[in-house]
Amino acid sequence: MRRYVALVIWLTLVVICVLVISRTTFTTDMSAFLPRSPTPKQEILVEQLRDGVVSRLILVAIEDAPPAELAQLSKGVAAQLRNNPEFTGVNNGEQIDVQKDFDLLWKNRYLLSAAVSSERFSVSGLHASLQNNLELLNSPMSSMLQQVLPGDPSGELIYLLNQFEGQARPNRQDGVWFSRDGKRAMLLLHTRGAGHDIDAQERAMRAVNSAFVTTRNLQPKFASAKLRMTGPGVFSVYSRDSIRDDAWRLSFIAILLVATMLLLLYRSPRVLVLGLFPVVSGALAGIAAVSLGFGSVHGITLGFGVTLIGEGVDYGIYLFTQVTKEMTPKLTLQRIWPTLRLGVLTSICGFSAMLFSGFTGLAQLGLFSITGLLIAVSTTRWVLPSLLPSGFEVHPATRFGSELMKVVHFAPRLRSPVLLLVALAAAFLVLRPGTVWNDSLASMSPIPPKDIRLDEQLRRDLGAPDVRYMIVSSADDQEQVLQQSEALTEILRKQVQQGELDGFDAPTLYFPSRKVQQERQAALPEIAEVQKNLNEALHDLPFRSGLFAPFLQDIAQAKQQGLLDKASLKGSNLEMKVDSYLIKRAHGWAAILPLRGVKDAQAITADIQRHFAAPMVLLDVKQESEQMLLDYRREAAKNSTLGALAIFVLLYLNLRSLRRVVDVALPLIAAVIVVTTIWIVTGHSLSIFHLIGLLLVVAVGSNYSLFFDRKVESEQDQARTISSLVFANISTMLGFGLLSFSHSPVLNAIGSTVAFGAMFGLIFSAILIVRKPA
Amino acid sequence: MRILAMMMLLCVAQSVRAEEGGASLNVAKLMQRFSQIQSAEGTFVEKKYLRILNTPLKSTGTLIYRAPGYLEKHILVPKNQNLILDGDTLTIDSLVNGKRVLSLQDYPLLGAFIESIRSTLAGDITTLNKIYSTTLEGDIKHWRLTLIPRDEKTLEVVRKIHISGHDVWVAEVEIFETKGDRSVMTVSQNGKVQ
Repeated sequence: MRRYVALVIWLTLVVICVLVISRTTFTTDMSAFLPRSPTPKQEILVEQLRDGVVSRLILVAIEDAPPAELAQLSKGVAAQLRNNPEFTGVNNGEQIDVQKDFDLLWKNRYLLSAAVSSERFSVSGLHASLQNNLELLNSPMSSMLQQVLPGDPSGELIYLLNQFEGQARPNRQDGVWFSRDGKRAMLLLHTRGAGHDIDAQERAMRAVNSAFVTTRNLQPKFASAKLRMTGPGVFSVYSRDSIRDDAWRLSFIAILLVATMLLLLYRSPRVLVLGLFPVVSGALAGIAAVSLGFGSVHGITLGFGVTLIGEGVDYGIYLFTQVTKEMTPKLTLQRIWPTLRLGVLTSICGFSAMLFSGFTGLAQLGLFSITGLLIAVSTTRWVLPSLLPSGFEVHPATRFGSELMKVVHFAPRLRSPVLLLVALAAAFLVLRPGTVWNDSLASMSPIPPKDIRLDEQLRRDLGAPDVRYMIVSSADDQEQVLQQSEALTEILRKQVQQGELDGFDAPTLYFPSRKVQQERQAALPEIAEVQKNLNEALHDLPFRSGLFAPFLQDIAQAKQQGLLDKASLKGSNLEMKVDSYLIKRAHGWAAILPLRGVKDAQAITADIQRHFAAPMVLLDVKQESEQMLLDYRREAAKNSTLGALAIFVLLYLNLRSLRRVVDVALPLIAAVIVVTTIWIVTGHSLSIFHLIGLLLVVAVGSNYSLFFDRKVESEQDQARTISSLVFANISTMLGFGLLSFSHSPVLNAIGSTVAFGAMFGLIFSAILIVRKPA
Repeated sequence: MRILAMMMLLCVAQSVRAEEGGASLNVAKLMQRFSQIQSAEGTFVEKKYLRILNTPLKSTGTLIYRAPGYLEKHILVPKNQNLILDGDTLTIDSLVNGKRVLSLQDYPLLGAFIESIRSTLAGDITTLNKIYSTTLEGDIKHWRLTLIPRDEKTLEVVRKIHISGHDVWVAEVEIFETKGDRSVMTVSQNGKVQ
């Protein structure tokens, strides 16, 4: 009866987990690196990286054809994408992009220009600007100026255009943007979907691809051309694809190999399937627990978590390979349970440090591992025995065992050389200059270096400015935040004049607050007055009479025109700018003002704070994001150390002997030292992914050393135990070793670290732990 | 010694003249000669006859050219204004309107205006032919180059440009705009042409 209770509970649990998982959302954005109680700066940064303008950029290059062809291709691709709702902005340098903006600026010049004041339309104000215009007529701008002068003698349009200067522009050739070396036609796309919406990014990429292929197929001379894409969203899609593809492909091969080995060993497909029960139920429970605990599951958690399969599979192997006709599953479990339980507790100790981490990613990983391991071992303990066919026995174990024992008996002779080797490796790690950690952003990034290089290249080609500093100001409503942006703009203008910075951008350059729009409108004079002022101003100037009739009309119209709202910017680059810099947040609104050429960020902040009372931060994107990732790695390292300490305490409480604790821990420490040394010697430095790998080495390896340490009843018992360890080890090495073939740096680092580490863990356990049968 | 040197110079000059006499001047030959110049300086007087003004706009100043792409127009009267073209970048610097840096690629029309003079000075026949169809009248003592824009967009603004001069000196640039505006810039030599 009891066996059925366990089975029913287990089945219910699996069903519940599947139900929970089917409702789970999976995320892949930066939020994993976000501390659970983030500072306002960090929150803004992550928000920007998740769905800010920077996250929505796709940089496109078309290359490998003569420039004339590349230009035609660029125009063809852009024309198709301009009609695609996936994109809010398609720029390839064509004039089409500019015309709409120009019209908007022209129609709303009196609402947009910060220079508008009643002073500007007085006799002296008009006289001064007309004088300036006379001078401009002497410059090469003359013919352009003449087109706008009759409607705009006060020079509002020129004022507006001046504001946008200094923003980098790429080279142009045949009417479209080209790289500096003229080999690539360049396009800059803004997606409607946020950077963290990987499905939207993927749709956008597919649209670019198909637009390119359609255009290329139009003419045979285009055939050689190639398309390249980069950008944060593109990276997310690539890394999701590569992790997914690699994970699927490699898991499939790994499962095939492990299953083949186990089938040969068990000679029973039924037992083989049973062996997967602990792994599968553990993984399902882990995901479900994270989903319930955190509301969503991060891709990194899954990536790390799935690798726990390595340990889950082992439990089945420990049980099945030690069952014989005489030794029923129940008896076997009674025998190995204390050791197995301690092994699991050890692993849980290691991961529990992660559970209390301030970082979401690490905490998720901790919860996943702990739940997964608990469920996997419980399944092994209470569900598997009743399902195992009666009289099941693993055959090769006996013969294989005696051969194996010869090796095991020989192993302790290597104790001294191994200890020496490990001591040397430890000395090398401690004494070598510099850190073993690589804290660069690139090392944390799941993106292959060659893709990062392409991205840097295309950014240089486009002259896309690296947004490093931005001011973020927040308020409860849109109007308020716009007014704050205007106040900041006033201060920043002065700072630009003083040379503190080269320039800045702001949402209110394109979309002023209603208050300011109304003020500007109110500052416009009545038509009779402006007519009188103009006549007086023109008194000693050579302008033809009646020339400025359009100006009088436009002023009269501007005085009554409706205020500019966001809808009127629709479809223009101005809208794109406003959407980037004016952001609706969970609570209220934020205005973002990117700064160019900042000399001294602290001085600027201090200056602003003197004149500006509303909430404001100056964000150094580069420094802040590096700091965040560094904190993340440091916390992971700190928690791992705490976890290791907890493991020692646990072992001591159980083994009640310091010597045995050292015996059990020594092979694990040795394995960690040797694997780390191998990485350093081969020219790698360690990232957070290696660290997680090392933690897994300790978790998996502790089972080995505990089993070696266990008091055995007979030579036969020892042979069975050790051969079960070897099979468990082989399956771990197969699983993780295959991951090291992955292109994804994450999977690669974890895979190779654990495969090496598990191997050394077993070998060192055999060499360093000597237990004679009783 | 001095006399010898003088005589040698004369001989060279005569042989050059003999060559010129042998064939009539064409655009390619004129450009070939301009392409030898490294630098030139002069003073200019410019008059702009604009439809929007009752009286012509007059300005004077200095011009500096350095091969292959540097051209500086320094307006001294009526108000100090410095225009520097270096490669693709045009810098307009004035006391009143401030400093402005433009890329000619962003202003194709501006490029067409400026390239007429710069390409001529640089003897860059390829660029000149790309933008304009060219005809040349006269001889080396007095020639006149007529430029007519090839691009329809440019033609909407510029009807034709006359550049006239003697030897490797541009003495006058006259721009006829399509809508009736006209400008004449006369340049007199100031310093050496190298």
